[in-house]
Amino acid sequence: MTRALTYGALLFLSAMFIIPFYWTFITAVKSIGELYQFPPVFWPDEVMWDNFVTAWFKQPFDVYLKNSVIVVILSTIGQLFSCSLVAFGFARFKFRGRDAIFVLLLSTMMIPWDVKMIPLYMEFNMLGWINTLKPLIVPAYFADAFFVFLLRQYIMTVPIEIDEAARMDGANSWQIYWRIHLPLMMPALVLVGTFHFMNAWNDYLGPLIYLNDQSKYTLTLGLSMFKGLHETDITSIAAITVVLCIPPLILFFFAQRYIMDGSIGSSVKG
Amino acid sequence: MKKRLKQLAMVTAVTSMALGGASAAFAEEVLRFATWNSSENLAILQEISKRFEAANPGVKVQVESYGDGYDKKLIAAFGAGNPPDVMYMWNYPKYYKSLMPLDELMARDAESMDLEDIPAGLINTTRIEGKAYGIPAGFTTHVVFYNKDMFEAAGVAEPKTGWTWSDLREKAAQFRDEGSKTYGFAVEAKPDPYDYEQFFWSNGTRFIAEDGSSVDGYMNSPEAVEVLTMFAEMAKNEEATVLGIGDSTSGSALFKGSKLAMFQSAMWSKGGIDKAGINYGVAMLPAFGDKPVHSSIGASAMSVAKATKNPELAWEFVKFYASPEAVKLRENDLPIRTSVAEEMNLTADPIYKPFFEMLALSDRESNAFLKHKNWSKIQTNLERAIEATMIEKGNAKKHLDSAVARSKRHLK
Amino acid sequence: MSTLVVQDEASEERHRFIEKLTPYLFISPWILGFLFFTLGPLIFSFIMSFYDWPVVGERTFVGLQNYEVMLTEDPLFWDSLWITVKFGLFFVPFNVILGLLLAVLLNQKVFGTGVFRTIFYLPSVISGVALVTIWAWIYSHEYGILNFLLGLAGIEGPNWLGDPNWSLLAIVIASLWGLGGTMLILLTGLQSIPKELYEAAKMSGVPAWARLIYITIPMLSPMLLFTVITSIISAFQQLTIALLLTGGGPLESTYFFAMYIYDNAFKYFEMGFAAANSWVMFLIILVLSMLVLKSSSAWVYYEGEMKNSEAADD
Repeated sequence: MTRALTYGALLFLSAMFIIPFYWTFITAVKSIGELYQFPPVFWPDEVMWDNFVTAWFKQPFDVYLKNSVIVVILSTIGQLFSCSLVAFGFARFKFRGRDAIFVLLLSTMMIPWDVKMIPLYMEFNMLGWINTLKPLIVPAYFADAFFVFLLRQYIMTVPIEIDEAARMDGANSWQIYWRIHLPLMMPALVLVGTFHFMNAWNDYLGPLIYLNDQSKYTLTLGLSMFKGLHETDITSIAAITVVLCIPPLILFFFAQRYIMDGSIGSSVKG
Repeated sequence: MKKRLKQLAMVTAVTSMALGGASAAFAEEVLRFATWNSSENLAILQEISKRFEAANPGVKVQVESYGDGYDKKLIAAFGAGNPPDVMYMWNYPKYYKSLMPLDELMARDAESMDLEDIPAGLINTTRIEGKAYGIPAGFTTHVVFYNKDMFEAAGVAEPKTGWTWSDLREKAAQFRDEGSKTYGFAVEAKPDPYDYEQFFWSNGTRFIAEDGSSVDGYMNSPEAVEVLTMFAEMAKNEEATVLGIGDSTSGSALFKGSKLAMFQSAMWSKGGIDKAGINYGVAMLPAFGDKPVHSSIGASAMSVAKATKNPELAWEFVKFYASPEAVKLRENDLPIRTSVAEEMNLTADPIYKPFFEMLALSDRESNAFLKHKNWSKIQTNLERAIEATMIEKGNAKKHLDSAVARSKRHLK
Repeated sequence: MSTLVVQDEASEERHRFIEKLTPYLFISPWILGFLFFTLGPLIFSFIMSFYDWPVVGERTFVGLQNYEVMLTEDPLFWDSLWITVKFGLFFVPFNVILGLLLAVLLNQKVFGTGVFRTIFYLPSVISGVALVTIWAWIYSHEYGILNFLLGLAGIEGPNWLGDPNWSLLAIVIASLWGLGGTMLILLTGLQSIPKELYEAAKMSGVPAWARLIYITIPMLSPMLLFTVITSIISAFQQLTIALLLTGGGPLESTYFFAMYIYDNAFKYFEMGFAAANSWVMFLIILVLSMLVLKSSSAWVYYEGEMKNSEAADD
């Protein structure tokens, strides 16, 4: 009974979450005639699969794809390493100024980007990084506050006795991090990786500000190029949006499976 | 096509040889050119740039397109001192201090550019404090698109030259159909004030005094109230649907879906309407009674950054964009050169003709934003008044008065 | 190499030095990043806030004038702040509570939950611009799918984005569509709770709701703290959806504080003023987060806490 109710609620909720996506999809495959019809057409008479191909070749999306993949992979690697190190540092050590530094770290999440934009641009310009992918990659190697906070919270749910036992056996801090905590925080790392992947994949502002040449553009920037000042190419936006959703969705599907199954936490504890 | 290209290359090769040193300085130069255009329009710009490259060996034009993120990009780039060399421009009051005044160069090259061929009203859209900061590359005026099939089906007579707003309202009323959600016309609740001032002009008033000293008696003048009240009444009587409150469905989308019989817009809507296969006609803007009609002019003009390392090359590029050859390629807006318009027979084409007729009537006024440095803030109050009037479908006087009062602070 | 046998005082000294240094080495990536990429812009924007700083043209020092105008002259400052607070009051609790409920519901390893999880995460995958286009279609007064569906049920839907009474709620709902991220964070947190606790409780006949309140919530509290603080931050930084969906309207009913900053910077080109706005917003979020963080000692339970006060070996 409760199970049926639960499933019912889930089904209803998922319908509400799916509709936007479904809407995007059918918009992508509608012909121009049906695009503006009212009442809305819930399944187009003629499915224009070609729209995907047309939209893809309206701009050099293969170049954008390459750039996006480079940015996403390199920055995700950086984020995973740096954040896990820093989070471990905050969660498992006592040191002078720790709490103050941690507050400072939290506060960096709260700075609006509007005012950081110009000075950061100046800095990257001085470094000669404008119109390269570096501003989108390098900062990821210096730990994002959001992920550090997330990982620190996760590490702090792990009993301290585990560390103490390891230290008794003669492990040093690096070994405790590398051999014990890194495997333990795998689910959280997968989470961080998924989140960062999504952020980098969908980032619009960074590429817009730091990239000039079309050969350096990323996918999201290309997508936004369909929205001019006066007119919008709705079909192409919808088609590319659908395509851009697929890699993160596949990634997410496996990530959530890993997070659920790869939970080592319970076996270590108790 | 190819042959012409070759010829062009030769001509320019000869000219640059004649100029001697100049061409050597161009060698291996990258010229950055930023635009807000996208899709088809962008493709046209890229084509023009390619031709410029062909004509100037050793020059690479980097076309940078930022769509509606254009301003953010320019702000970051200008703010950090790394602007593109050449860029599309409309917001002169905000940027002119970092742009190169072009009057001297224009005077120098007036003959070779054949400046006479470009209507003065167009160049005036780039003028601030008496100096020109841009050369128009394309432009549009405002018109009314109407759906011929819908007119025929409803048995309504098509608009004629010299029509008025009361003619439009009378026609519009006949298209309203609740079941199919069809309307005769659409009015904007959140218009771009730049395009809205044409209605004030056409009714004999302005947003702001010519010298920029006051908005009181202009923005809230009886004529201004009349304009807003008329649009509000059209909404109230369902002669028109209201765009922009709670609905980002655009007028062009409704027109393309045959939900609108008439739709006031500009060249930028034409491409989409063509593609949607609507059988349409174009009419001039209607007049307020017997007052003369006046249209806003939207010009895509090209400006040169003061900080450019290569002002000569940048200027050459701008000139090339205003050359007959380049102007002809711009199918998605109107040719800035009278000669090109005539040569392409656009002035006789029933679809294009009204645009040029509007242009001929539209050289009396200059836009409010060129008259006061705080206009962008004053404008916010006006936008609010228009929106409030359209939401309440009335009370124009009250809202415009309050816009005037709110603007005092910025007029200091 | 902490296993080295300590032989003399010098090496013990060195050893202690390394011990002291270790934590700083671990957090050094962030410290360096802060020095390289954050501190400079931060100082720069602070200085900027005392200037009349147009994007181009002359920059003049104006002292506290930007702060003064903001607090005393510009009605939009207080209006937008109040709207943001109202938004946060809806958004933060709903985001955390619904996220928690979904996470608990989908924490079962039953067939199909993986698909459900993916579905709830779907909107988080779609980039901002496209998401907003979708919502515009949904909410559209006359041509929207939501009012079309309501119409089928015989209800005349409101003008969601055009009526100042409904617009803020519409933005809250659209923002909550992104709660898949919160759900996933809490779901991950749930994995580190020992299953034995639940089994023991079940055996002693503790009902499901009590297990949720006495086991799940306390054990999950570190992650809940995280979601509360990051929800507050994102409530204050709420911009894209409102900017693209309503542009702050109708009649400024969805004019958020972040949009106020955005307009001052990108519409009015007043970088100095925008910097002053940003610093005020920064301080407000900081104070709120600190309050939550301070309160956390009362409700957050850490299995492995290293309190600085109970320092053991220094």
